[in-house]
Amino acid sequence: MPQQVPLYIIASPRPRVGKTLIARLLIEFIRASDRALIGYDLEPREPALAGHFPDLVSTVDIADTRGQMALFDRLITSPPCTTIIDLGYGPFDKFFAVMTEIGFVQAARRRLIEPIVLFVSDPAPATVRSYAELRRQLGTTTVVPVHNESVSVMFTKADFPPTRAEYGVIRIPRLSPIVRGVIDRPSFSFGAYMTERQGGPTEIHGWIATIFAEFRELELRLLMGKLGAALGGNAATPAGDLRTAR
Amino acid sequence: MTKPTVVVVGADKGGVGKTTVARTLLDYFTAHHVPTRAFDTESPKGTLQRFHPDISDVVDVTSVSDQMRIFDTLSTTDASVTVIDVRAGLLSPTLRSLRDIGFLEAVKKGQLTFVVFHILGSSIASLNEIEDTSTFTTDGKYYLVKNFINNTSFFEWDQPTYASYFKKFKDAVEITIPKLNEMAYEQVELASVPFLTFVANKGLKGEAANYSFVLRGYVRHWLGNVWGEYDRIKLNDIVASGGTAAGGPRVQVVRSAQ
Repeated sequence: MPQQVPLYIIASPRPRVGKTLIARLLIEFIRASDRALIGYDLEPREPALAGHFPDLVSTVDIADTRGQMALFDRLITSPPCTTIIDLGYGPFDKFFAVMTEIGFVQAARRRLIEPIVLFVSDPAPATVRSYAELRRQLGTTTVVPVHNESVSVMFTKADFPPTRAEYGVIRIPRLSPIVRGVIDRPSFSFGAYMTERQGGPTEIHGWIATIFAEFRELELRLLMGKLGAALGGNAATPAGDLRTAR
Repeated sequence: MTKPTVVVVGADKGGVGKTTVARTLLDYFTAHHVPTRAFDTESPKGTLQRFHPDISDVVDVTSVSDQMRIFDTLSTTDASVTVIDVRAGLLSPTLRSLRDIGFLEAVKKGQLTFVVFHILGSSIASLNEIEDTSTFTTDGKYYLVKNFINNTSFFEWDQPTYASYFKKFKDAVEITIPKLNEMAYEQVELASVPFLTFVANKGLKGEAANYSFVLRGYVRHWLGNVWGEYDRIKLNDIVASGGTAAGGPRVQVVRSAQ
């Protein structure tokens, strides 16, 4: 089976649900394994992700055609490597509308790029509807829900079924407010913090380790899902209804 | 042998997108492997000819010699479909000429298939052309193409006016084609290639090109919608069966956005 590279799209139709934090964590997780990586911040008014990784992340405004070309043309024509897109809530609808209209997913797959949407959930009914609509719109594109416990303790699995049951849900544990200020510093690096360990393991160490383990499991589940699909085995069973699978 | 088909694309008003529609038709027939030739009446330069130089010639449709080039060769050419892009102001005169030379009589006798795409502008003058033009096409297929190039509504907000033009044809069917992204349209203009060639990322001679993936995606999506409209009116069946395709009223309304 040819080696594919993931294109992670971290998305939510709602503001302040932790998209940029999750994008930061994912970037540092991938960097920790020395894989080539590139990022895009699609929130031109407040490019928080680009602020954290100025040498790695480009800011793009996809409101007009020129910006769409700056993003999608580069994704298609550049040598494939792991890519992370921090999709702000503002361009959420536009991004997926353009992606669908120009046939991006099919073209990306021909170039061995696999788009994966990490949808940051929240309990608002509009978000639940948006998730269902996105699943319909994207067809076979992988969509995995992310439950950020800092946003809401509640998570109704039935409202956010992943594309395949085995992809599950990524859980981002709640971090106590006192240490939250530490990780929000612009210069804070999750990877560096993990290696330093000055003064022994802290709450942040455990928190980062848990999330990195979630990412590792996701990669494994995605790989198993593909293998299963390629072999026509049980792992390829679509998750039509999560309630029956988890 | 398939009956020769003549497709006239025209309007008496300028700037309503006649050549754009003609180009989508040529792409459509190419994709369906229908041998097609085209005549561009925008003499002497010719916009259609710029995009489809291999299958089109520039003619002066008002001259007898050029009329002979088009119509005397209908039964001898390899092309089963002849598309004529009639320049602004010449649709009515061209149809009159077709009547005068006996072309319309041949259509009536079933010797030829005749299809007219009448591109409408958003003015009363343009709509007034309908009645005049339709009198020449009683034995052919007559389509009214609504061009939404400027997001016009064709007086749909004023139902009496709208009805007086469009609803007098009981069987009229409206088709909506979405607008093509402006930058994509301009990029195809610059490339001077057929839409289909642009989508395939090729140059005019089949060489590899380097057009934007995004813009190609927009054109592909738009062209797919336009062709969807041609499929809906069973255009391929009409030209393949010589105008006897089942379904569809004699007069139809096609909306175009570019």
